Amino acid sequence: MSFTSDHKVLVQGITGALGVLYAPLMKAYGTQVVAGVAPGHGGQRVADIPVFDLVEQALGAVGKVDTTVIFVEPYRVLDAALEAIAAEIRQIVLITEGVPPLDMVRLARKADRVETLIVGPDSPGIIVPGQVLLGTHPPEFYTPGSVGLLSRSGTLTYEVALQLTQAGLGQSIAVGIGGDRIVGSSFQQWLQILEEDDQTDVIVLVGEIGGDSEETAARYIAEAIDKPVIAYIAGRTAPKNQPMGHAGAIIASLVAGWGTEVGTADSKIAAFKEAGIPVADRPSQISDLVKKALSSM
Amino acid sequence: MNLLEYQAKELFQQMGIPILPSQRIDHPKDLKGLKIPYPVVLKSQVYTGGRGKAGGIRFAENTIDAIAAAQTIFHLSIKGHYPTVLLAEAKYEPDQELYLAVVLDRSQRRPLLLGSRAGGIEVQAAVRHIQQVVVDEEFSPFYARRLAIKMGLQGDLIELVSGIIEKMYRLFAEKDLDLVEINPLAVSLSGDVMALDGKVTANISALARHPDLAALREQLPRPGIGASTALPSEMRLVELNGNIGILCNGAGLAMSTLDLVNQAGGKPANFLNLGGESDYRLPPNLLQERVQQGLDWMIQNADLNVILINLVGSVVPCDQIAAVIGVYLNQRRAGQRPPLVMRLVGQNFETAKQSLAALDVPVFDQLDAAIARAVALSKG
Repeated sequence: MSFTSDHKVLVQGITGALGVLYAPLMKAYGTQVVAGVAPGHGGQRVADIPVFDLVEQALGAVGKVDTTVIFVEPYRVLDAALEAIAAEIRQIVLITEGVPPLDMVRLARKADRVETLIVGPDSPGIIVPGQVLLGTHPPEFYTPGSVGLLSRSGTLTYEVALQLTQAGLGQSIAVGIGGDRIVGSSFQQWLQILEEDDQTDVIVLVGEIGGDSEETAARYIAEAIDKPVIAYIAGRTAPKNQPMGHAGAIIASLVAGWGTEVGTADSKIAAFKEAGIPVADRPSQISDLVKKALSSM
Repeated sequence: MNLLEYQAKELFQQMGIPILPSQRIDHPKDLKGLKIPYPVVLKSQVYTGGRGKAGGIRFAENTIDAIAAAQTIFHLSIKGHYPTVLLAEAKYEPDQELYLAVVLDRSQRRPLLLGSRAGGIEVQAAVRHIQQVVVDEEFSPFYARRLAIKMGLQGDLIELVSGIIEKMYRLFAEKDLDLVEINPLAVSLSGDVMALDGKVTANISALARHPDLAALREQLPRPGIGASTALPSEMRLVELNGNIGILCNGAGLAMSTLDLVNQAGGKPANFLNLGGESDYRLPPNLLQERVQQGLDWMIQNADLNVILINLVGSVVPCDQIAAVIGVYLNQRRAGQRPPLVMRLVGQNFETAKQSLAALDVPVFDQLDAAIARAVALSKG
């Protein structure tokens, strides 16, 4: 996998409320945050990271970067990501919550054409414990190991990581793919990356109600993934047709007659069981199921 | 955010999608000044389907009939919803009814055009006959014609119906909508088309850049949230029927905590998501203020046996959360508030634990243990 400690990272929106909070934490973890971008703040420094007005100016000064982490306000996310793509950055992490879905459609069309990996939005980003932090994960909850963790959540991902760490199960990577309805990369894309990753022995997939990404992932795992996968679904007892706080986590069928059962926990759990994937009833059960999977390898 | 039919039709009219002459009715007596010739149709304006079957659509031949019908509809519940507004509309006899929609496909991350020749109420029975076209690249009218052909339309109808689909797509894209649906689109033998009923869902995240749609929200009652609330609207509250109040930071964590309480036999009264760590409107470094606001709301608005707080994050150290709890407890004597159970992880946990222990608040770093204590306390 390409996310290592010699990875060079740009932070867009470094002087905003989120960037100014997390860029120093990323740097403190050892991530090489080589530059920040914030229009109108060129020439300043944040936690000793040089700030530029434009992405192209930043790259002109510090050279190529591997990934940009974008913390700008929701309605500026599309523009910031397009600016990064124009500067030929091919891995983009979107942290901010509240990006309009049609902005993500425009970004997805562009990213597909130029083969750019997008993570998020509404995401804690990526952590490779002991190597690199690209987002908001609290590093103290993580420890290096062989569990690959994929999730639609932020703080629930931290919860699961903490319980794995406490059970003596370190992580090869944790990726929050994002809580919004339209996210840049899917569970399948990340399952494929982890299937090919030498550091990962077992995969934990943390899903939630809403949409069909877990059902699609379950079918994909049955067809294409040889490593063991453990699943957990949040929102089993959440009421229908109510927004839960993740724009994507709503059990509702927008279109008349398209079945009211789209996106329920039952449908997702059934899909995993059909694919032979163990489903944890609660976060604390995940580590037991991971140990079981590892011992039978 | 769903719009009512009459609001959706105002948007259709702005886009040049044909609609029947209609008039909004706020009170039965408004019908005395009706500008549409009889016979008319009176339609209940509610945020739910199935109003036709429930009796929420009635025909009237004259003013006396219309006033009586309006009185009936105003007092008629449609799946628990009462209308505050009716729509009076000219009566229309369609020769053919089509189903058309534009919606976002989550897994393909693209807009999807939907259409069927079996429109009207038949569409529910004929879901499998709904045709789809993915708008893969920038929209162009050929996507609409592709759908019309897939629907089996021929001759002049191809251009006529794809023209409507194009306008629906433009509306969808211009206003950042989640859904534009016309059901049915009436087609007459003379080749006219007319949107007889429509549904529009606005996207909440995009609402701040569409003041016209945001203004419609002001007219709508906000379900599930009482008038006495002082919560920032960005915090997500879900109200249930039990006796345990739940506060969490982050949606996934809140849902997981709700599940655990239910699995342990507890009865959640509500759960409040104070916001995760990626929201500009709920800055993660001000979590302690949101805990304070959340607790104040819980005390004022819900009858609770216990409040469970589960916070997981990196930005605000545990002792700062404990300090807020201390202030909160000082403001209220034991008899005036339900007991608290805290679950905290992160920096300075031990300091927080000591200061909360001095306040008689049980605090756990293990989630399951916190859930067990909260459920036990809720049962007295």
